[in-house]
Amino acid sequence: MMPRRKRRLASRIRDYVRGLLAFLFSNVGVIVLVVAYTIAGAFMFQAIEGGSEMALDKQMSRARTNISQYLWHNVTLALNLFNETEVKERISLELVHYQSTIVSAVHKGWDGGRSSRQWSFSSAFLYSLTVITTIGYGHLSPKTDWGKIITILYALLGMPLFLLYLTNVGELLARWFKCIYALACLCRGCPGFTKRRVARLRPQYELSEAESIERPAAWRGSASDVTADHPADRRGFARRAEYYRSISMPQPHSSRHYRPDPRRGASEPARRSPSVTSDFSYVTFDAQAITVPISVCVTIMVGYIMFGSMIFGMWEKWDQLDGSYFCFISLSSIGFGDFVPGERVYTQRIETSFIVCSLYLMLGMALVAMCFNLMQEQVMHYFAGLKRAVKRLGRCKR
Amino acid sequence: MMDRHNPLNASFHGSMRSRDSSSTVGSDAREKIKDCFRKFIAFMFTQVGVGALVVCYAILGAAGFMHIEKDSPDEQLEEVRRLRLNCAESLWNITITDNLFNETAWVLKVNEVLKVFQNNITAAIHTGYNGRSAEDIWSFPAALMYSLSVFTMIGYGNIIPKTVWGKITTIAYACFGIPIYVLYFCNMGKVLAQSFKWLYITAHECSRRDDTLFEDGEMQPVKKKITVPSTACLWVISFYILTGTIMFGAWEKWNYLDSTYFCVISLCKIGFGDFVPGANIADSAGGSHLKLVINFIYVLLGMGLVAMCYNLMCEDVRVKVRELREDLKNCLDDITLKITVCMNDTKYYHQKNSRNVK
Repeated sequence: MMPRRKRRLASRIRDYVRGLLAFLFSNVGVIVLVVAYTIAGAFMFQAIEGGSEMALDKQMSRARTNISQYLWHNVTLALNLFNETEVKERISLELVHYQSTIVSAVHKGWDGGRSSRQWSFSSAFLYSLTVITTIGYGHLSPKTDWGKIITILYALLGMPLFLLYLTNVGELLARWFKCIYALACLCRGCPGFTKRRVARLRPQYELSEAESIERPAAWRGSASDVTADHPADRRGFARRAEYYRSISMPQPHSSRHYRPDPRRGASEPARRSPSVTSDFSYVTFDAQAITVPISVCVTIMVGYIMFGSMIFGMWEKWDQLDGSYFCFISLSSIGFGDFVPGERVYTQRIETSFIVCSLYLMLGMALVAMCFNLMQEQVMHYFAGLKRAVKRLGRCKR
Repeated sequence: MMDRHNPLNASFHGSMRSRDSSSTVGSDAREKIKDCFRKFIAFMFTQVGVGALVVCYAILGAAGFMHIEKDSPDEQLEEVRRLRLNCAESLWNITITDNLFNETAWVLKVNEVLKVFQNNITAAIHTGYNGRSAEDIWSFPAALMYSLSVFTMIGYGNIIPKTVWGKITTIAYACFGIPIYVLYFCNMGKVLAQSFKWLYITAHECSRRDDTLFEDGEMQPVKKKITVPSTACLWVISFYILTGTIMFGAWEKWNYLDSTYFCVISLCKIGFGDFVPGANIADSAGGSHLKLVINFIYVLLGMGLVAMCYNLMCEDVRVKVRELREDLKNCLDDITLKITVCMNDTKYYHQKNSRNVK
């Protein structure tokens, strides 16, 4: 008896370890890989492009000296000095020329001594992130030949990697979000709702009350949630048995019947350690049937954009519209580059601003992927219903 | 998105039903013609329709953005002019007040003033000053390019909306445009992938028939499912990029590296905007419009090609992974078999030994 139990324990431990490893490799591994790739890219581009800006700087100061010399010789010395308007017109003409020189120099990448367009580590990090996410702000762009070639190769390798990151993390987040949604959001703030619902459903499913309340409770008990102040412990004894019985029940095909009790606990089930993945499967089993409505996804995205605009508005002194415009343009991977953090206000914390922007982008892209995942599911669901209806209609006609 | 899907779905159903009916009725000429017609309509709605939708949407957006942005009062242009006048004024002051025969002192002071001017101009450029007025910038082809760069998510950023309404419209335009574009991407990818696959298979079969004729008479009844290898897709894409390279290199006087860089950055949807066709052209005006339109078509078609390659490569990779897994399984089975045989042998050997010792 003893060796067998030991063996079972060992196998269970092995299962846990295997689950942990799989989780690490699939999700954490991908995230780490993306971050490492970006950091490597930052170092590489910094090394390649760092020298090129010096040359342009020198060139511009030479141009400035040239024009003042020119003004001295051709304007001040050559013209009658007491005719003010004529001199001013002449100077203006020269200045227009000079101005166009500056414009073309800036388009070639000269930064006018501003720090946001230089290849510091954090800006190079942001640059490589914009390459692999295909945002492409263009506030920094490679000037040397090697920089261009490396950028092409870097993009070709990095984009599939980032796509992998997006699908992986998007799926994971979608799963977690479904759980959160199922546990907390479905009828939050309407305590009587579940009871009413259950009372309505009772003739259809006799077991529904036990099911609908027991199931999340079973999960929560095993997950050792922080706010476990509910009376579930009273019937905690029969919990498992009830749960297993409920599994063998035929699944009601609409998700709505699974109303968890409206507890505002389970605020952060997403951050649980991966060692409880086997318990987690109870919930996914539950939550797989649920489709999150599109409006919730849209709300999340709008909320994230608003949050970003608030942060960047505080940080960069943009107004609300500009901030949300920036966030939208970035997250939809359009990336015009007319607003880039660290552009208008020169501060010492410009480096942190870049890093915050990168983090915001990475998280935001994953969130958008999650929302698309959920929305796609919902649309599929909708279409399946539509198809069924059309089929039924056709059958009726015949 | 849903509304866009609906006609698509309906036409799909229609074609399905028509196929069923034709199979049941048999070779009725009228039915056949009807079937053909239905298929043609379905094709028009799904492929051509989506393409036309994208183009119409782009043209609509171009007109809208032109209308919104052209009337915008050009504060920045005014500001830059004011800066220039100020600079001239201060230069004049220097000339009057200073000793005119000391060249170095004069040049030094002028340099200072110019530096201030230069910094102001760079700041203005970073907030969007372009050296051109809104009238010049928002010509129709440029606006077309802009709307393309919005809904394909390229975002060159050489032209940007400056008015509040322009920004809001851009957000709304992207919200509706991106799903349409994704639809186009999927559709175009599927169609192009199918046709390319058909081409490839035809070519493949032609060559193989020759081979079988040469080798021996026996035909293999086991017909393996042919997938297009990813190298073929890569060849197609690199050929397309090469075409673009030569074309843009000739038009824009870029060197080949730059134009390759532009093509790759555009087709990858990164779109830095440091090289944009039409930046030079707009100065010369003239026949630029045609070129911009051709550029528009180049990018749109290129996106379709990328979608095709994505489709084909996904399939290829899936098949490869399956094969790999099967191989691995076979290998593992083999190894376990060998190991068990070995173990048994050694056990047998040990038993024999011990028996001998006994």
